[in-house]
Amino acid sequence: MLKVSNLTKRFGGIIAVNDVSFKIEKGEIVGLIGPNGAGKTTLINLISGFYIPDRGKIEFNGLDITKKMMHERAKLGIARTFQNPRVISNMTAHMNVLYAVLGSPYGKNITMTEAGAEAIYYLDLFGLLKKRDVLASDLAIYELRLLELARALALRPKLLLIDEAMAGLNPAEAESVSKLINRIRNEFDLTIVWIEHVLKVLMRSADRVLVMHYGKLIADGKPEEVVRKPEVVEAYIGEEEL
Amino acid sequence: MVKLEPRRGRLIIHFFGRKYEWTIEPRYWRNPIIGLILWLSLPLLLYFVARIVFNYPPIALMSTLIYANLLIMMSAPFNLQTIGTGRLNFGPHFFLAIGGYTAALLSRNYGLSPALTLPAAFLVGAIIALALSPITIISRGVYYVLITLLLPFILGEITYWRSDIFGAETGIPNVGLLFPSTGDVTFDVLIFVYVSLVISLAFLFFVDRTLRSRYGFMMGVINEDEDVARSYGINVNQIKMITFTFTSGAMAICGWFLAHYQGSFTGAVWLMPSFLILVLLTATLGGKGAIYGVVISAYFVATLREVTRVTFGELSVVVLFLILLLLLYFLREGFWGLYRKRRYREYEPSIKVRRQT
Repeated sequence: MLKVSNLTKRFGGIIAVNDVSFKIEKGEIVGLIGPNGAGKTTLINLISGFYIPDRGKIEFNGLDITKKMMHERAKLGIARTFQNPRVISNMTAHMNVLYAVLGSPYGKNITMTEAGAEAIYYLDLFGLLKKRDVLASDLAIYELRLLELARALALRPKLLLIDEAMAGLNPAEAESVSKLINRIRNEFDLTIVWIEHVLKVLMRSADRVLVMHYGKLIADGKPEEVVRKPEVVEAYIGEEEL
Repeated sequence: MVKLEPRRGRLIIHFFGRKYEWTIEPRYWRNPIIGLILWLSLPLLLYFVARIVFNYPPIALMSTLIYANLLIMMSAPFNLQTIGTGRLNFGPHFFLAIGGYTAALLSRNYGLSPALTLPAAFLVGAIIALALSPITIISRGVYYVLITLLLPFILGEITYWRSDIFGAETGIPNVGLLFPSTGDVTFDVLIFVYVSLVISLAFLFFVDRTLRSRYGFMMGVINEDEDVARSYGINVNQIKMITFTFTSGAMAICGWFLAHYQGSFTGAVWLMPSFLILVLLTATLGGKGAIYGVVISAYFVATLREVTRVTFGELSVVVLFLILLLLLYFLREGFWGLYRKRRYREYEPSIKVRRQT
């Protein structure tokens, strides 16, 4: 589904992503881990079209999307969430998801009422139905994370890029989000690339894990194999109990 | 055939077999038709009161109403542009001048009628705006402000440099009027009031329909967060360019109206920063993104401008801007904000959905 070849992105003298290549198959949940500054978010930004790479190639379902703009990639079925939830703060939760429904390619062919109902469906799926008339600025961080996921899902993506969905959440909330992500993968036949620092959750959910360090991909494999690799232990995991 | 049936708090109108119901209880007076009727009847009412009751030719009064409508014609597209581009344009009067000069030059030099200069003014304004529209993508913040602020200054200098064409501060005279004079100057001005009012209404209707459409939804997201808009699959650059082009074309129509209303066009007057400030104040006092708020603020600003001019003479500009500054301080959300506070739920856009059980 997604093929990344020799991807490189520089910011001045810093190489944020350095010659990264990997493939992701349809239906996989791929975890992306690495220490701060490893280039994980930059990689997500490159795949979603937020940045255009300096070198390399990105193929999505066999189509070269390297030079495509972010909105074109969204229309092809690539949705994302942001590390710091970016919602339309002075609008209700319902309107936030409704905008996504209307902005999506299929949104052109449905009425406003249908779009409204569709938005309600996604809010309900993420347990936000009671908060539908609450301004996004009044939502707690956990609810904002869910709202971002609901909004991304409302675009009916094929590939969902999740950037630290659990940052700032307590263990119970993180567990709940993890279950939801697994559920939507199964129900919506999604492929997911998921940046996460909460390794325990990722170990349970991910089919594969990619490890980045200083912009380079240093490991790619099944979670239980990857975390035992000495270079991964040295660069990222350390003595953490898994 | 036509029957009125008053009920408690409402009026039922039977009209050729059809039934219309209208709530007349004051607390439900939100019907825009009331506002529209009041607005449409105001010039006529003022005209007859001044002329028949006081036997006073109300030219100054009518000119004030035209000025108010002109502020609406500028502020309504300006508001739409601000929402759709997510940028604050400090040169809307540049496009007014473009439209005015286009209409005036075509009318005087080639004898084109107002019906022909109207599309020409719109097209020239829109084409120039399209050429300039990449600035809505490549610049933001103070850079965008500076670029848009410089445009009217550049045009102003060009009108002096090529005074043989643009007439500098004397302007372009002998521009054909919008309609032949009736012989009664005061009545002519009243007609101009209604022409400007109809244009204002058309602009408000267009802006309102746009904002309620899917296109308006997209503009709303762009205004909030361009990156989020892109992640929704919205072609942000395209929408910003289209919005900038069409709203600027609409502003050029204001110039067209002025040229054919005054029978001349003097860009130097309209390219002054004081007019820009009045447009910005009208848009701001109307309330952020509040399209109908600009009607209230435009009439307020135009009336206050006239009252201070008559009362304070040379100090009028100082007093006018001081009062408007105080209003900006106390009415943080503009005139519409007063309404919004009382009817918060109505202001918040929402869609009612009945869930299937």
